[in-house]
Parts: sequence; structure tokens; C-alpha cells
Amino acid sequence: MTFNARITLPAQASPGEIIEVKVLTRHPMDRGGQSDGKGGTVPRKILNRLTATYAGEPIFRLDMHTGVSANPFVSFTTRAVATGDIVFEWREDGGATYTRIARLIVT
Amino acid sequence: MSSAISPRSGRSDSGPDRRRVVAGAAAGLLVAALPPHAAAEASPELAQLIARITEGVAPERARISLEIPALVENGNSVDTRIAVESPMTEADHVRWIHLIAEKNPFPDMARFHLGPRAGRAEVATTLRLAQSQTVTAIAALSDGRFVMADANIVVTLSACIDGG
Repeated sequence: MTFNARITLPAQASPGEIIEVKVLTRHPMDRGGQSDGKGGTVPRKILNRLTATYAGEPIFRLDMHTGVSANPFVSFTTRAVATGDIVFEWREDGGATYTRIARLIVT
Repeated sequence: MSSAISPRSGRSDSGPDRRRVVAGAAAGLLVAALPPHAAAEASPELAQLIARITEGVAPERARISLEIPALVENGNSVDTRIAVESPMTEADHVRWIHLIAEKNPFPDMARFHLGPRAGRAEVATTLRLAQSQTVTAIAALSDGRFVMADANIVVTLSACIDGG
């Protein structure tokens, strides 16, 4: 498994509170260009986009290039509105996508 | 004075003498120790990169902070945090924050798209830096203005040596 993600949210939040969402991803973020030993080069294979959707509405998007490290860490903030799922979707070079869901409890 | 035992042990007249070499080295150290110019005057390449991002609008140096270590041992993963002072309302918010490393093989590193739902314009990530250079953060505000901040980073181990 080359992809794995750990998402950290506060255990609970009050309505209107600004919370920090921390996402630690396991991914080699291969920038490509190295020799493949057969005269060619390895193609780039990185996660190029992370989108976060909260209660059906997009709240955050990150476009990544080769300047983002392997196993990237990302943090951002959002305003807690209602208990609901935050859906994280990564897009990888080559078209693969990965989805993880974290539930935010708002009391 | 007796002559030198062998030609190699005598002091040669040609070439820099030792005292001058030491003095020169000290002067070199002094130059290296001077604080690097806060990139008030951006290099032409960087200015071009910034102009491309902002579509020609000159960004202001205000309201944005770029938190990044001044010296990193390993350019493979550099913790970076960017915060923009903004109320993050529908009328006045940060649209995106863009990170540039002028001397990376691919200078554009990442772009964070934010909106009023963020509550606060504060993001963090880990970057990959090829060499010692200036890292620039540019934020686009909802009123069409841009703000920027930059920092000089010394990288002792480049991110482009090994496979990491």
C-alpha cells in the first residue's frame, strides 16, 4: 500500500468555532526523471490535488507540484457549522483517486 | 642565511604567500557572515515568476507571514506555515496562497485554495527544496490585490541528491 492518510480533527467543536484540520499522508510523491535502468526515465507520480468537502460544500483545495515533500503534511482551518462528514479526496498522477472520510462532531 | 635544503622546502616567490591567503580567507568569511539581503530587490527570474502568478499586479509586502526555518539540514521536508491577516468573510477573504521556490527545478510548489468557509487564512505543509534559495508566498485577496512574503533559506542537504 503506497497510500495512507491520517486525519486529525478535534474530538468535538462548538458551532462557529474555527477548527484546524491536519492531514498526514503516506505517499512517495515521486518527482520522476530518474533513470529506470533501461535508458528511459521514471514518470512523475505524485498526488497532485487534495480537495476537502464539508457537508457537501468544498472548503479547501490544494494543488501540489513536485515541490511538496514525500509523505506530505497539510493543515488548514474551517469553521464548524454542523455535525457532518469531511470528505478528503486525493488525485494522483495517472488518474487514481483516494478518498477518506472524517466525521466532525459539532455540539 | 643558508639556502633551503631542497627547492621544495624553500619559500617560493611565486604564488600567494601564506599571510595573504589567511587574510583573504578571513575576508571571505566576513562576507559570508553578513546578513543576506532581505530580498527587497527580487532577482529578474523571481520577479518574472511572481508577475506570472499575479498577472502583472505588484504584490504588497503586508498582512502575510511565512514561517519557515532559516537553516534546514535536509531539503526533503521543510515545515512551512503561512498565515494571512484576513477576516475571511464573503466580501474580504483570501482566494488562494501560492508558494514559489525560485531555484527548484519546478519553481511552483503548491497552491492552497481557500474561501470564506476557512474562517482563518492559515495553512501549513512540508516542502521539498533543491538548494539554498528564497521561498516566496503570494496570497490573492478577494478584492483583486495580492500580498507576498519571502524568506531566505539555507539548505545544507539538497532534496535532489538521493531518491528521497
